[in-house]
Amino acid sequence: MLSVLFTRGAPVCPPSGNQFMNVLECKNICKNFGALVALEMVTFSLRDGEILGMIGPNGAGKTTLFNCIVGLHAPDEGEVIFCGSPITGMRPHKICRLGLSKTSQIMEPFRAMTVFENVMVGALHGGQMNMRDARVTTEEVLEFVGLAEQRNKASASISVPARRRLELARVLATKAKILLLDENMAGLNPHEIDEALELLRKIRQSGKSLIVVEHIMRAVMGISDRIVVLSYGAKIAEGSPAEIVRNDQVIQAYFGKKMSAELSG
Amino acid sequence: MRARGPMINHGTSFTFWACFAPAVAIIGVIPLFSVSEYTLRIVTIVLFWMGMAGCWNMMSGYTGYIDFGPVVYFGIGSYATAIVMTKFGCSFSLSISFAGIAAVLVAVPIGITTLRLRGAYFAIATFAFAETMKQVSLEFDRTFGFTFFEGSHGITLPICMYDNRFFFYCIFFVTLAVVLVHYSIEHSKFGYGLKAIHEAETAAEIAGVNTTGIKLRAYVTSAFFLGLFGGIEAYWITYITPSDVFNVYKTVQMVIMTLLGGMGTFLGPIVGATFLTLLSEILGTAFVEYYLIMVGAIIIGIILIMPNGIVGTIKERMGIKFI
Amino acid sequence: METVFLQALINGILLGGVYAAYSAGFSLIFGVMGVVNLAHGELIMLGAFTSYWMFVFFHMDPYYSLPFAMAFLFVLGYVLQKYIINRVIEQPHIMSYILTFGIHLMVSNIALKLWTHDFRSITTSYSGANAAFWGLNVPYARLITFTLAVFIIAALWFFLSRTETGRAIRATSMDKEVARLMGVNIREIYAVTFGLGAAITGLAGASLSPFVIIFPEMGLGYTIIAFCVVVLGGMGYMPGALWGGVILGLAQSLAATYLSAGISVAITFLILFFMLIFRPAGIVGKGQVA
Repeated sequence: MLSVLFTRGAPVCPPSGNQFMNVLECKNICKNFGALVALEMVTFSLRDGEILGMIGPNGAGKTTLFNCIVGLHAPDEGEVIFCGSPITGMRPHKICRLGLSKTSQIMEPFRAMTVFENVMVGALHGGQMNMRDARVTTEEVLEFVGLAEQRNKASASISVPARRRLELARVLATKAKILLLDENMAGLNPHEIDEALELLRKIRQSGKSLIVVEHIMRAVMGISDRIVVLSYGAKIAEGSPAEIVRNDQVIQAYFGKKMSAELSG
Repeated sequence: MRARGPMINHGTSFTFWACFAPAVAIIGVIPLFSVSEYTLRIVTIVLFWMGMAGCWNMMSGYTGYIDFGPVVYFGIGSYATAIVMTKFGCSFSLSISFAGIAAVLVAVPIGITTLRLRGAYFAIATFAFAETMKQVSLEFDRTFGFTFFEGSHGITLPICMYDNRFFFYCIFFVTLAVVLVHYSIEHSKFGYGLKAIHEAETAAEIAGVNTTGIKLRAYVTSAFFLGLFGGIEAYWITYITPSDVFNVYKTVQMVIMTLLGGMGTFLGPIVGATFLTLLSEILGTAFVEYYLIMVGAIIIGIILIMPNGIVGTIKERMGIKFI
Repeated sequence: METVFLQALINGILLGGVYAAYSAGFSLIFGVMGVVNLAHGELIMLGAFTSYWMFVFFHMDPYYSLPFAMAFLFVLGYVLQKYIINRVIEQPHIMSYILTFGIHLMVSNIALKLWTHDFRSITTSYSGANAAFWGLNVPYARLITFTLAVFIIAALWFFLSRTETGRAIRATSMDKEVARLMGVNIREIYAVTFGLGAAITGLAGASLSPFVIIFPEMGLGYTIIAFCVVVLGGMGYMPGALWGGVILGLAQSLAATYLSAGISVAITFLILFFMLIFRPAGIVGKGQVA
């Protein structure tokens, strides 16, 4: 069953098994909205099979960065490279079909459609399948995320954790190789968070790479291989969770200079 | 592993075809019986508006992009047919193809430019374009010294030898095509794309839906059939003027019929067209002014009480999927 | 030859003032509530008819009837918004403009039923009177409406920035949710705004009565022009209505003088079409985009 999620027609980005190969690279991404500098020279990479955590105070530019990567905004400067091919400024649907998709912070299910139909859209258009294959894929994805019993429910009527999983299911159905998750765990209680983390591990095991933006520290620290920290549009730190927790600039960004001084001495 | 999920439309079921095929067959053979000219005319008009409303539904009903200028393609089809028949002496079948092609040729660039707009701006832009075309066909000859559109004099087409039965079948087949397009929308990838765009366009784009391509496809398909209808109508009434074929009230009809029946549904335009055409026949020509007041009241009523229209509300309340 | 050009210029500017006068209300309503009022022309028509009937029945000079038109249209607009349009205001915008389109159909056709297709006009002692100098004509009636336009926009600006209700309206248009949290009754504000927009539109419509032809179906043409003016000047941006109107007025006047009258209508639509495609935020870019 996992193999259906694993392979696609003509892989742009075949699973290399090489954990040091960069599947996604962002180089010097800059984005301004009028006078507001949203992103400033942001550079980082995502390795094959990695879960990269992205944290930072509110307004740091995490959602804007995601939007630049998937093509909703074109960065003013900089490049986005997916498995070696530049995708900067390409239209979002083309980027999705190449294998890169994201969930939204504000959930946007297709409200008039059922859970099943929502996921079908991803399979049909993102995954570029015909109706029959799309139905098979949708069934399997729903099974994978645990929404199979709710397949006929109106997507506006399911619970918040279920809606989060629906967002995830839609992205999985597109056969995306890289998933960008924007606060996919917001609104979940601790038990639901643990379940969500399990699901993310399952997804990574099936060969995907993830970038996870979250405010829930134990979730991000627990699941990430590496972490990137953004503040006021710039990357201020990068490293393992253990390194990040002790990093001065990160503490400053969250708690201010005084706290940083107290903690360090 | 067989998929057990619901489709957007259960219409491939036996029940659907058991109802649909006989209905089509029965309507199709009406002219072969000795029905009165009046009955034939009424049925033709009902079919005509089913098709026209269907054209508006396939674009605006499914995508939610409210188009206030679809009549422009009807007019373009009329004028293309009229000009080609009078200036170049083409036969009707050839002229009708010109009608469709002309509509498509205009729809592509207009679609590409206007579909980037959202909401009210799209509605007004399409309306502005339709009115511009009307003004152009009124003023073009006079301003630039050609005899092409013939301005407000209008164009008179050659009288045809065919009787009302011929036109019945012309309209019947075009409307049938429109209905089949609806069927295909309800069952296909294209339909899923249209509905996703209606619900959440950005989310659809991120999920891989080529929103521009899909919107354009719906817009151009709608324009094509409108052009055909325009061409048939031109030949049938043999005399066209700009204020007639570019008349905004044709748009109003398409909108109100689809609204009443149910936007974005298979049966919506069919139900709405039948209801309103029969109603205006009952009220008669002496009550044309009341008709428009009533149309206004229906629009207000639908928006406030039943925004999904008759068919849409039935679908929602009873959970039926195949209409 | 210069006289012809100058006259066309003057006609255009005065025409622009007229356009601005009756478009300001449209811009206000859209700016605050996001409602594209497709029944806008009917407000003008009702204002003009108020003047007409007061002239016919009470022999009242049109300019004395302005306050009556204002009051009547305020009440009408307030009631319309409060009891009808407010019911769809939280839904997607398309609902509100299909709704106002239905209102347009109803009102214009009821008026047609009541008052017939007949064209009407008001002729007073000063109708057609001009100030004439240097071989140019400046019709008084249009000059008055032009002045009225400037006055309306200035008064509106004053009202919105200096009074409490005005500030509540501005707050609502900037951020509805925050305004609500601050204790503003949003639905009430919407009703007042629509009433206000309708009132100034009725006022403008009444001021047109000395020099335009009055008939029930006149509304649609005015709605289209109002839309064009407001898109040119920027939706929701009040001063934009003034020079958006003047630009359109000049374009039409020059086209009518040097090309033909019919082309000037086509020009309105072409301008509207191209503005929507290339610069929907208005020439200066201060408008709100739907």
